[in-house]
Amino acid sequence: MDLKHSGFPVPSDYFGVLWALSGIRDLLVLEHGSTGTCNYNAFNYMIMNRQTPKGKLFSSGMDEDDVVMGRDEKIRDAVAELDCKYHPKMIALVATGVTSVIGLDLKGIIEEIQPKTNARLLSFSGGGFAGDYTAGIREVFGTLARDVADDGSKDASFKADEFTVNIIGPTIDSFNIVSDLTEIERMLRLMGVRVNTVFTCDTEVDCIKNLKCASLNLVTRDIGLEAAEILKERFGTPYYYGLPFGVRGSIEWMKDISSMLGIGLDRTVVRAEVERYGFSILELANHMQNFDHLKAMISCPPDYSTGLAVMMREEWGIDPALMVLPAYSANVQTEKQDRMQDCIQDRMQARTRAMVHGGEADGDSGTERESRILIEPDCQTLKEAIDSIKPQIIFGNSYDLNIAKDVPIRIHAAFPAFDHIYRYDGTPFVGLRGHAYLTQMIINQLNLNPEVFRN
Amino acid sequence: MMSQQHPDIGTKYIRLSELPDGGSLATTAHAKYPGQHCSFRAVAGTVPLIKNSYALLLGPAICLYNAKLSMNMRSLTSDPRPNNLLFVNYSQEDIIFGFREKVREAILQADREYHPEVLFLITSCLQEIVGEDFDACIDEVRPLVRARLLIIHTENFTCEGAAPGVENMFRSLFELMKEQPQEARTANILGLWTSNARKTELVRLLESKGVRIKNIIPSYCTPSELEAAPGAQLNIVLDQYGLPLARQMKERFGTDYIYSRKPYQPDSIEQWYHEIAAELNIDIQTEVADLKEKTLAFQEKARCALDGLTCAISGVSGRPFDLASLLASVGVKPEAMLLQTVLSEDRPDIQSLLDLGVDPIIFRGDNSLQNDELLARLSPDLTVGSFERTSPARLGIRPVVLSTSNYLLGFESTIEVLRLLMEKPPGLEALMYKERILGKGEC
Repeated sequence: MDLKHSGFPVPSDYFGVLWALSGIRDLLVLEHGSTGTCNYNAFNYMIMNRQTPKGKLFSSGMDEDDVVMGRDEKIRDAVAELDCKYHPKMIALVATGVTSVIGLDLKGIIEEIQPKTNARLLSFSGGGFAGDYTAGIREVFGTLARDVADDGSKDASFKADEFTVNIIGPTIDSFNIVSDLTEIERMLRLMGVRVNTVFTCDTEVDCIKNLKCASLNLVTRDIGLEAAEILKERFGTPYYYGLPFGVRGSIEWMKDISSMLGIGLDRTVVRAEVERYGFSILELANHMQNFDHLKAMISCPPDYSTGLAVMMREEWGIDPALMVLPAYSANVQTEKQDRMQDCIQDRMQARTRAMVHGGEADGDSGTERESRILIEPDCQTLKEAIDSIKPQIIFGNSYDLNIAKDVPIRIHAAFPAFDHIYRYDGTPFVGLRGHAYLTQMIINQLNLNPEVFRN
Repeated sequence: MMSQQHPDIGTKYIRLSELPDGGSLATTAHAKYPGQHCSFRAVAGTVPLIKNSYALLLGPAICLYNAKLSMNMRSLTSDPRPNNLLFVNYSQEDIIFGFREKVREAILQADREYHPEVLFLITSCLQEIVGEDFDACIDEVRPLVRARLLIIHTENFTCEGAAPGVENMFRSLFELMKEQPQEARTANILGLWTSNARKTELVRLLESKGVRIKNIIPSYCTPSELEAAPGAQLNIVLDQYGLPLARQMKERFGTDYIYSRKPYQPDSIEQWYHEIAAELNIDIQTEVADLKEKTLAFQEKARCALDGLTCAISGVSGRPFDLASLLASVGVKPEAMLLQTVLSEDRPDIQSLLDLGVDPIIFRGDNSLQNDELLARLSPDLTVGSFERTSPARLGIRPVVLSTSNYLLGFESTIEVLRLLMEKPPGLEALMYKERILGKGEC
């Protein structure tokens, strides 16, 4: 049993629900539980870039009598108060562990009180027992895509806006989201593409209702794929999945999106971008600094891990020798999700192999160096892997960086990042500016730790 | 935050002079944020202060993740707590099929791998609701481990606030204590929560008179030191949470105690010291007089700087109404006090404040949006106490956070309070400037 002494207990679906809902401006969240649970959330929002749920999250203040008697007056009164006082377009009722255990029927309560409530009411009843936080985010994404997005496409005259996309995946817990979104939106503007909404870290109820207006959905995070599938099924909107990492990855991303939207990519713009942001690590290192032996550990969600690994190997020549991925919840594992995860792992292994073969997937030159992949290892396993591989660089979350204290270059690159602020919008990891920022940062870090260079 | 159009805050407060006898204040809203503290969190944040211990936190992922984060935030300060927390997830399967085996295995593993002298077992709301006989399970495993197993129940849903859980934490320490011969001129301090506890003015003053402080509970005492705690001549109880333990020690071991919460006014501090000194048969009059004189001089300086200001008080450690009197004495009129509960022992301080002609609004302070509405209506110059800075700044109110005074005692605490009132912390001007531009468009 992993007692999580050095690591952290993975947040449950309850948190995913809160985080996925928190970026919807005109929606309020009312959780049914004791106020202690709500009070605690001030802390967990604080570690995500010093955000606060104030004005967004409320508690019904359930007490012992409510538990014993199964009473629901408090949640009814709280809904009425929020509805009357703040006029939200939507109120989401969220179960906590206590509600879930006593089996309170949130859907039944909604059926009764919806007619006298102006805000539309939704319920999320997992209560922290339906899996990890990704399950909660998926539940919210699925509910909004299925039940809230307007089916205006039944109107025969409806036509999606050309050159308009939804960005699907970012939520308030997403690492480095301020800068990454800024860069993604900037690159889309370069292509003449407009963003309809960012689902869900920067949106509002009407934007969700109008998801169908976009002619393409850009999925930036694997946990947005189900919602994209739902939207494809309902509105016929195609989707593109992936993040732009590195120079090559960014240009391929732009080409793919241009192609899907049927627009031409202006070569002059691309050239200007590459000239400005495409500097290679070799242009920044001096001729006495040899770093072709360096190994890195990447411990991030799959989208970041894959992109960083490819960029690291292709553009820096650094070996992503150890990859650590989060597990998807066993409780909500579906066949489809299994396939998705297998696919991600296969792709990563294939691409990593391809990278060490000089970019040729089936090439036979180069040294065979496969990344070791660990799925949510316990702390001891992780320590042993680090001790064995001895990376000089780690990209990971705050706990990974603490566990790998002897690794000289430690870079925050994943949630949770309780000791790291990323509010400024000029430090992207993705896109061409992300390439420039990371390349500059890694060479600066190497310069601060010159012992890692090979003579 | 979404806008609201029907402020009805005026119906939710009373004047101090209208306050009924002790207990919780009326809630200010049905939908609450953030609400009162969780006792699971409070206990999880406290048990690391007991040396040579580990704690198994037994709860759903919601509680465990938040407990870990609270510790992580503390780790970013100069007073990090030892990392002694271990986590056992209470899953849906455990609710259905039972938690006993998992807990038993975790206890054996923690004992084997971490070798604690004491292993705290901290339950959350869910075990209490499910009703599995948790204590019996622990009794079965007790003979198999070297560690002393101390159970702390923190059923937060049964109460408003963290008090019962924290009291349970204190009570659990009683199980470590043994009958001791009483040692003259020794004392324990109950209810001081800091690594600097032994450097406080109270401790320095008592030690200068030959009083040995055996334990400061729960500030970094070892299980063996706690075992010897009943031998103290006196327990000095600084807050209500330590009171049940002091009563148990008196009943079982005859250890005398004095319940004397942290004062703020120089006269109150003088009396506080003299009461403690009387119990210990020591004479500290000269030292106290010197300290008081310096504090009075500082108080006069503060009056010159602060006279004519108004404030709202919240989140105070110790005696809130005595702090209100201190503020009034330097010309800062308390317009409102945002509190969770009023204790019966607050009555003398309340009367003193009213006798000064100060009759502030009393408002339940656990609902942040309601607090903001009240502050917007009253528009005091200062908020004093709470950790919240951005919201008052947005309202054009200067926030005075008292966190550095919370870990001090006696005159030095009062001087720190007055210093914080007179000196703006780094960054505050910039915050206020930004909020003025955002709020009123001034630039």
